[in-house]
Amino acid sequence: MLTVKLRRASREDARAPLALPLSDAAAVPAALRAAAEAAGFAGAAGQTVLLPERGVMLLGTGAARRPLDWEEAGGHAAAAAGEVRRFGIDARGLPPVAAASLAAGACLRAWRFNRYRGKPTPGPHRLDLIVDDPEAVVPLWDRASAGVRGCLLARDLSMEPGNALTTRAFTARLEALAEYGIAVDVLGRKRLAREGLGGLLAVGGGSENPPRLAVLRWRGSVAAPPLVFIGKGICFDTGGISIKGAAGMEAMKADMAGAAACAGAMLALALRRSPAPAIAILALAENAVGPASYRPGDVLRMGSGRTVEVIDTDAEGRLVLADALHYAQRFQPGAVLDLATLTGSIVTALGAHRAGLFGTDERLLAQAQAAGEAVGELLWPMPIGARHREDLASAIADLKQCASGTRQPDACHAAAFLREFAGGLPWAHLDIAGVDDRAEAVALGPRGPSGFGARLLDALVAMYFEH
Amino acid sequence: MIDIAFVKPALPRHGALVLPIGEGAEALSGLAQAIDAASGGAVTRVLAAAGFKGRKGQSCTLWAPALADGVAGPSRIVAIGLGKEITPEAAEAAGGALHALVQAEREAVVAAEALSAPVAAALGLGLLLRSYRFDRYRTTEKEEDKPKLERLAIATDAGSAAKAAWAPLRAIADGVFISRDLVSEPPNILNPPEMAERCRALESLGLTVEIIGPKEMKKLGFGAFLGVAQGSAQEPRMVVLQWNGASKGKKPGQKPVAFIGKGVTFDTGGISIKPAAGMEDMKWDMAGAGTVIGLMAALAGRKAKVDAVGIVGLVENMPGGNAQRPGDVVTTASGQTVEVINTDAEGRLVLADVLHYCQTRFAPRFMVDLATLTGAIIIALGHEHAGLFSNDDELAGRLMAAGKAVGEACWRMPLGDAYDKQLKSEIADMKNVGGRPGGSITAAQFIQRFIDTKAGPMPWAHLDIAGVAWSSKDLPTAPKGATAFGVRLLDRLVAEHYEG
Repeated sequence: MLTVKLRRASREDARAPLALPLSDAAAVPAALRAAAEAAGFAGAAGQTVLLPERGVMLLGTGAARRPLDWEEAGGHAAAAAGEVRRFGIDARGLPPVAAASLAAGACLRAWRFNRYRGKPTPGPHRLDLIVDDPEAVVPLWDRASAGVRGCLLARDLSMEPGNALTTRAFTARLEALAEYGIAVDVLGRKRLAREGLGGLLAVGGGSENPPRLAVLRWRGSVAAPPLVFIGKGICFDTGGISIKGAAGMEAMKADMAGAAACAGAMLALALRRSPAPAIAILALAENAVGPASYRPGDVLRMGSGRTVEVIDTDAEGRLVLADALHYAQRFQPGAVLDLATLTGSIVTALGAHRAGLFGTDERLLAQAQAAGEAVGELLWPMPIGARHREDLASAIADLKQCASGTRQPDACHAAAFLREFAGGLPWAHLDIAGVDDRAEAVALGPRGPSGFGARLLDALVAMYFEH
Repeated sequence: MIDIAFVKPALPRHGALVLPIGEGAEALSGLAQAIDAASGGAVTRVLAAAGFKGRKGQSCTLWAPALADGVAGPSRIVAIGLGKEITPEAAEAAGGALHALVQAEREAVVAAEALSAPVAAALGLGLLLRSYRFDRYRTTEKEEDKPKLERLAIATDAGSAAKAAWAPLRAIADGVFISRDLVSEPPNILNPPEMAERCRALESLGLTVEIIGPKEMKKLGFGAFLGVAQGSAQEPRMVVLQWNGASKGKKPGQKPVAFIGKGVTFDTGGISIKPAAGMEDMKWDMAGAGTVIGLMAALAGRKAKVDAVGIVGLVENMPGGNAQRPGDVVTTASGQTVEVINTDAEGRLVLADVLHYCQTRFAPRFMVDLATLTGAIIIALGHEHAGLFSNDDELAGRLMAAGKAVGEACWRMPLGDAYDKQLKSEIADMKNVGGRPGGSITAAQFIQRFIDTKAGPMPWAHLDIAGVAWSSKDLPTAPKGATAFGVRLLDRLVAEHYEG
């Protein structure tokens, strides 16, 4: 992440351009007006003009109003800074929340993943945030940067290749979060068997890398039922016996993005010492093809005691989530949200611009949607109809895992399936299969993993569960 | 079509006697009590033995109970459960289920004395809608295999109120049947000219019908519509149906409401041809038009106090020698150009020109288009909801509510600039497809580009009915096959908000 320094005055440094947030052409300082006019700068949101000879960047903010608008402006500044190691944003005259948001946006946009490169990709390392009163900005920056760090952890995890981020490696990364005051408990095969989590055990059975259930706990400081986040963590998804086509399969290293987002959210809560108690339950497994793989036609006994007929081993996410949802019941949560790169169907339905939102509790759904709007991670409500549940009727077990045949509303079927394991709790399910990875850069991130969900969950807690 | 009549209560001497019973009902009354007494309490005994409690979906049949004094009586008595809350919706579903239980009789009498007029009428509607059958092309079916029910007599003391409640429902059922007939017809019979002629026949209801052929379309600049048509030997047609129920004989005071339907009488996909499996389903790719035509017939049939326009774009999408190709650029009536990437995304090309025509000519209060537009909507929502896209929250809210009321549910789907960008073309103003992600949304974005809001708001809604126009299994008030989804929904929309 960018190193952010809060300063009162800017350093004169021609190699470190200073971005001037400007709402329109009239706001451009007189000395720069001719250059601005020549470059066609009108102050529209997202518009940037570099004036290297003056060490300045004109940064259009338009009618920025919400923190998200300022974040996006900060992101545009970071993108326009290009390959310089250091740049600045002049937030003097702006409210402290705008200043903090500009920096947050810049950090999100400037994120890079260099672990496997001999020579890191060039780009900014350091941001000087020029403000009137650093003291006033510090608490807001602490808050905003917590969410940013959570998001970036989620991206880092999602970016890791399948041979590096095995289930064991993932749990090791999670155990390191103890440093921030998060209690981590990892269930291995024996305990999973004792708990009867047959869904997770079956999905993880085909791989040399054993399945794990990781439970992350942030105690908070208020006595309230915890909020539980559940994440799908398929470290690599070959599809299993119902193997996927080869084209594009490399993207399946990120089939753990839901779990990564939940881990990121926990880090954010811990970093900003949230008063709200929260628990993340991450179902980790590799869906591999092996001699002990589960098969289409298998009947599984799940943690809840329900039996499930397997139709397609590539619909594995709902099986591991179902067991995690069941495991969540023991914590008597106030609400449960699960995040999963669950279905191709949701991509067909909503594309890459909104995640699918399913659930049983109107209030929780509205809250999740509002939290998403606040951080620019958009959700769209989707239905669970009676017919969707009927389609899961099995001839041999309590229910089928998915419907047979092509052209199925599989995202709705998956949600109907999960509802059976939510135990009547207020529950929301976010199908993030279309939004976990970006084909193109946006204001708040380069192309690649988006970390979608970490900031949303952090905002959800901040907006609705801390009072 | 089964005759639904309202009669004074009297025990039938033959056929079926139907006893609609609510859950937790007190003792039998009226005809039910009379038949129970005449049969020496057989009805009460059998219902008790069968565990019949009047629950929703429950039924119980007694065969030809012996009556006192040896008088002739019904050959079957059918008790049917209405559930706890006796609403028109519950009665409609019960009526639908009833059809299978009485269809072997020529006549059935319903003991409806305890039911309100709207509930009694709804029961008749449910039965009638469920009785739909398309057997025009069956030549060898045995007489005994055909349903026999000709008349459903609803016995009630509130005859005039029930008849008043029934009259509009009958017109709606007629509209539904017209729509289902059109959708069921095979594509070699129902080509665009034939479908236009069937519209012409609706002039008898008081509709004004104009048929527009390819020459005039060319004059109108329908480059997108004609591009779809050019691969087929069948000429395209656009049909404009008008019902002036509000302004009859007077100058129109209000702008009309407008409904637009996609009518691809067969869709091979064109040069971007579809796979063979299941292609026969593509005969119902004109269901949007079928719904609009059925709706206009319903509005005219019940003399709705509204000025309404229905416009359908009828065309066949074939890979003929002159078929349009992927890569072609066509100019729509609005002047905007379209790069045709996939010739199987033809519905939106037809709608683009028809919507532009509709808005330009009629400046309507709103436009609702219906189309079996995308496979993506099936993968998104399945077969329980139509996808609803709209630029107007009020219109969308009204459509959702109307759909809920008549059991034709809609689910709102998003629109937005991010999706619209997927239509960017390297050569023209837009492509006709935006890729797999959000396929139904980008289709709606495409259509929205032909809704002109430069001069002011133009409320518009698009219903993607690809998942609901045809049912692979029986539904409460529709046998499997064509559902006519949308006829009742839009009729309800008009009745609730745009009449009087």
